[in-house]
Amino acid sequence: MSAETAERAWDELTLSPAEYRRAGARYRQQRNLRAYLFVVPYFVPFLAFLVVPLFWSVWLSFNQGGLLDSAKFVGLQNWRVIGADTELTTSIKNTAIYAVEAIFLVFTLALLLALLLNRYRKGSNFFKLALYVPLLAPAVLVGLIWQFVTNYDFGLINVVLVHLGLGRVNIFGNGTTALLAIVGAEVWRGLGFWTLYFLASLQSIPEELLDAARVDGARGFQRFRRVTVPLLKPMLLFAIVIAIIANFQVFDTVYVLTQGGPYESTSTLVWFIWKRLFQFQQTGQGYAAAVLLLAIILGLTAVSFWLLGSRRRRRPREA
Amino acid sequence: MAAPVVITEASEPHADYSRAARRSRVLWLGKGVAAYAVLTVFAAITLVPFLYLLSPSFRQSYELLTFPPQWIPHSLYTGNFHHVLHQTSYPRWALNTLIFAGAITAITLVLDTLAGYAFARLRFPGRTALFGLVIATLMIPTAAVVAPLYIMISRLPGWTHSGVNTYPGMILPMVCSPLGVFMMRQFMSTLPEALVEAARLDGAGEWQIFRKIVLPLMKPPIVVLGIFTFMFQWVNFLWPLVITTTDNMKTLTVGIASLQGQFVTDWGVISAAAVMTIFPVIAVFLIFQRWFVQASMAGALKQ
Repeated sequence: MSAETAERAWDELTLSPAEYRRAGARYRQQRNLRAYLFVVPYFVPFLAFLVVPLFWSVWLSFNQGGLLDSAKFVGLQNWRVIGADTELTTSIKNTAIYAVEAIFLVFTLALLLALLLNRYRKGSNFFKLALYVPLLAPAVLVGLIWQFVTNYDFGLINVVLVHLGLGRVNIFGNGTTALLAIVGAEVWRGLGFWTLYFLASLQSIPEELLDAARVDGARGFQRFRRVTVPLLKPMLLFAIVIAIIANFQVFDTVYVLTQGGPYESTSTLVWFIWKRLFQFQQTGQGYAAAVLLLAIILGLTAVSFWLLGSRRRRRPREA
Repeated sequence: MAAPVVITEASEPHADYSRAARRSRVLWLGKGVAAYAVLTVFAAITLVPFLYLLSPSFRQSYELLTFPPQWIPHSLYTGNFHHVLHQTSYPRWALNTLIFAGAITAITLVLDTLAGYAFARLRFPGRTALFGLVIATLMIPTAAVVAPLYIMISRLPGWTHSGVNTYPGMILPMVCSPLGVFMMRQFMSTLPEALVEAARLDGAGEWQIFRKIVLPLMKPPIVVLGIFTFMFQWVNFLWPLVITTTDNMKTLTVGIASLQGQFVTDWGVISAAAVMTIFPVIAVFLIFQRWFVQASMAGALKQ
């Protein structure tokens, strides 16, 4: 093969800069197209059933009706009405009290159990399983099971009280105890989950740090306060935010245990939304309250991601 | 700081030492006993209500009100279970629940694995923005969008067969959980980049890489996401409550809740329905416990 023909063959094979650019663009186009084919099946329902309803929800809060008839634009009227609606403020207050009580109780107990399970490993599998079982039941079923614990006539608590020679308590006769019954159902259901969560967090603490503290003469409680707690704090904060988000949506147990009663003492935010939308047909207030819930949850989501981010930023220094 | 030890001539060091050792052993034993006592109490608290539920399901409802209560009935009364199976639509509710949660799980797995892979391993314009949208909507509760969803589904024209009280109407709005995509992306990011690159150099197309390399390696996370989605949806209450109005389209949660009457409630029947629902689930859980625990922890966004 002569040098000349070889050069010509090479020229045919190589691309001019313009051709090269075009080929590159074609390649990228095809690569993007293929990538979009992976994403589109998800984003069609995602846009249709989540993003669009989000904006629609906000738009609806300036309307009335629309569930059975057609919607009517009313401007800011819904917002003015719910601003003065004591049932809504009561519902939000109840939800907040419920969340604080439930999270405080379940976190305290779960942390205690996690510490014990972390220290006493023998047989811990059985206890983990036992604690996990209530999580398998839907909240509705947990509420109904809870009826057998709290009912005035045949509830476990009252049966025990009568056996002890004490009187029965009407747990659902008064707002404070009725709300506590709902808290109890949530604590009972969530205990296993949070115990396992804290146990995983505890086991992620490097053993060397605790050993070093032991060598330095720190006693059990000191080690817990000075080593375990500071290392656990980021996970704890994140867990609290997640738990608030979850607990602000409490509805199922309210539905089967109290229906918001007595009076409005166990009415929660989602219960309020559901009742106004699908029971009382006071759609305007329901729409506005749903946007309120949305704002609260979005705000808390932002906080949780900020916490995760700050944990990641801190990590290099800890290592 | 340890107290200074004064050694006197008269004391016998060995006796002191063994006394101290005995004391610390007793203390150690006592702590252990206390710890296991606490654990046992809480295990009992979580398990006793389930056992307590068994008793009324095998008794006539009026016997619930007798005192002292008969924990263990004289004769097993099976009328409650008979009632649940034949006087209510329980079998249909169970079937509906399987269809509802099963279909959502199947569709979610397909969509989320594809999207999760694209977000973790493929380059395309708008990737960051789209994933940001997914993250921002990660925790949107159904209650916040239930009104527009209901309006959408109830307005679908008849020929789509997807309105209120239909399976597509119940299932479709629930298939777009951002949490699943987020989880899949996190899992897929652990995939070694070199593996994908090697396949690409060997001339495999993106689809082939996904089918032949990514999917087989991602089997465990896919199972975890599947269990997580199914568990999340079979307990779903608000959406099935809103979108079903006829008795034979209800899911188990809505159906069992409807057994609780406005004025009179047959607690024997309710306990029987609860027992029939929860005990099979506990059995499945005991068989596949490892996967269950992993699935529930994955939901906590642990990273």
